[in-house]
Amino acid sequence: MTIDPGYTKLTLRAEYERFEASAKQSWDDLYQVTTVTVGVGSSSIAKGALDVLAAARELADGTAVVVRQTGVDGADWLEVKVTVRRPGEPGVVYANVEVADLPGLFNGSSKKAFAVDGDEAFDGLRPLGEHPFFRYQQRIVLRDTGVIDPESIEEAIARGAYSAYLKCLFDLSQEEIIAEVTAANLRGRGGAGFPAGIKWESGRKAKVTPKFIVCNSHEGEPNVYKDRRIHEGDPHRILEGLLIAAVAVGAERAYNYVGGEYPLAIKRFRKAVQDAERLGLIGKNILGSGKDVAFRVRTGGGAYICGEGSALMYSVMGVRGQPRTKPPRSVEEGVWKRPTVANNTETVSNVRDIVNNGGAWFASIGTEKSKGTKLMTIQGPVKTLGLVEVPMGISLRTLVEEIWGGMRDGYTFKGIQTGGISAGPLKDEHLDLPVDFDSLTEVGGMLGSGGFVIFDETVSAIDFARYLTAFNRVESCSKCVPCARGNPALVEILDRIRLGRGSAADIPLMQRTSKHIIELSLCGLGQVAPAPLLGMIQMYPEEFHDAITNGTGTTRWHERFVPALAMTGD
Amino acid sequence: MAHTDVHPQTGNEIDLDVVREMLSHIRPSDHQEAQELILSALQEINEHFGWVSLEAAEVVAKHLGTTSNRIFGLLTFYADFRTEPRGNHFMLLCHGMSCYVMGSQNLIDELGVRYGIADGGTTSDGELTVQVVNGCLGVCDHAPLVKLDNDYHGNLTVEGLNDAIRRAIAGGKVQLRH
Repeated sequence: MTIDPGYTKLTLRAEYERFEASAKQSWDDLYQVTTVTVGVGSSSIAKGALDVLAAARELADGTAVVVRQTGVDGADWLEVKVTVRRPGEPGVVYANVEVADLPGLFNGSSKKAFAVDGDEAFDGLRPLGEHPFFRYQQRIVLRDTGVIDPESIEEAIARGAYSAYLKCLFDLSQEEIIAEVTAANLRGRGGAGFPAGIKWESGRKAKVTPKFIVCNSHEGEPNVYKDRRIHEGDPHRILEGLLIAAVAVGAERAYNYVGGEYPLAIKRFRKAVQDAERLGLIGKNILGSGKDVAFRVRTGGGAYICGEGSALMYSVMGVRGQPRTKPPRSVEEGVWKRPTVANNTETVSNVRDIVNNGGAWFASIGTEKSKGTKLMTIQGPVKTLGLVEVPMGISLRTLVEEIWGGMRDGYTFKGIQTGGISAGPLKDEHLDLPVDFDSLTEVGGMLGSGGFVIFDETVSAIDFARYLTAFNRVESCSKCVPCARGNPALVEILDRIRLGRGSAADIPLMQRTSKHIIELSLCGLGQVAPAPLLGMIQMYPEEFHDAITNGTGTTRWHERFVPALAMTGD
Repeated sequence: MAHTDVHPQTGNEIDLDVVREMLSHIRPSDHQEAQELILSALQEINEHFGWVSLEAAEVVAKHLGTTSNRIFGLLTFYADFRTEPRGNHFMLLCHGMSCYVMGSQNLIDELGVRYGIADGGTTSDGELTVQVVNGCLGVCDHAPLVKLDNDYHGNLTVEGLNDAIRRAIAGGKVQLRH
């Protein structure tokens, strides 16, 4: 759907509203034709989505059928997912589609029909929303992911993009915008859970100019893939949130710092910025409001540490991403030593709906201290793996056993690693806890960025602890000694135990070394680096004990392999 | 970082005219913006050629008004960059948590035992370079997974890995899509 590929810059609110109306009309017109929609994102491309899309276009050539692409909606286990919608009928969702299936999809004879994209059963198919994977979800951030073409600003606008931005440009004062975000009690989704309203307010009050907004879309953890899916599925939502933040804080420029290892996310986000610029939503005197906001996309280079606030800003400035001591906080001295407000991608993606529906609406979702929804990802041997958006406070058991379908056949649940590489694992007895910012922390877990990893009985706690510690060792920025030298020491002790050469003194030695790293490291990443190891020792003490006293260790790799392992690094 | 023993390498595989052409699209408005653009310039070169040579680094330094020392400081800090050429085939081996839990360590061990390569290494015959991804490639339901040249191989066993490598090498060198 394209209205006018060479659209000229809109300079007035009224012009924009005419554009919006025609975008909505084109969206409605899509219901008059048969559409074949292919979910194309990094996860489905790996399964051949681009081939399916190309083959579908070829089949549709010369017919009235419209072939569209969208982002992927989170249900990785259904990919490649294709939806066929005929005029007057609800869409039929086909799962695990291959190129050879397409003719059957076009003529309706395919046996791969999985569900119907609507509220009522149709043609013997149940609604997709009744499946446990979707039933518990409440999609705010992901509302349009998998619905719109992420490379079309018209489709985004037709579904309500920039409606909140327009209000912020013309109808609301800076204080009023921040008041809504504060009333929503929107807490940072990157892991720390700091209230965004407070950040914005201190940014607004900062006297030094120019000020900047930075979006942390680095997502370098090995356990999560949520932010890149928003970039791939609904980039305008992120962009709108950042532009609103810039208006609210009075910032001259907003940045989005995206991990360099996600080429599709970068490509689609850059396209979104380009389109918004062309339309006049970024730049000087935006739509005649008298307000100016500039925008820049910056990419990282695969260093996990750049997810830390100050390291990220150094990386934006083109130097090594190594954290510095605070204060001054970044809201006093950030990018180019100017006041800088940093937010996570998922956090800013909530802003549109908070402005449109009010902070009180947002605060009515979730628990007392954790408002709204949370994107959660799962990894490991579960049946229906994928990204979901659920209200805060849902139980871990509902997530694992209902939404993600429980363990695959042949696998036995052993534990669930929460908070990625920043916290310890939880066991079956913890599964009834609510998932929010605070509950998991009380038992040694962590919500973190919402990436959970299930491991089964075949995974040794000692080996897993070694993997997690080795990650921190490779990714340590080497600036401060406790982290740079302490993590290698921990890996060395763990390897000793794994080879069956550990001694009883090794466990207290690891705990003591961990204490040094936690207490003496400069940045938040060093301070939590030993947490997974300590958690593993706490949850599975018998494994460590047996490996040491029996001298059996956990691995036989040294018998067939002499040189260093890949992550043994230096 | 893990890359402690890295020295600038020279090499004539990188056509500096192509580098200059790539850089001609990068036109910073001031010195601050020029510095902000160093990383993306390097990324573009690294993606196109598979590595960044000393000469290419010098061209970038000149174009963006900085020193090749600083460029090498960045190249050796950020894990995505390579400072030596790739082999004929390039493998990204996902070592995210999903892949770890499902057995990617076995794949890494196999690469060490059978091919004599660890993270960043190239086989002695120059056929295969492997890069271990410490983040996550995001195809977690097919873990463990590698991306070999342009193709993804999921649910991999050690045999499957060897098979994929064998077929890629037999098929000859291919152009990487970006």
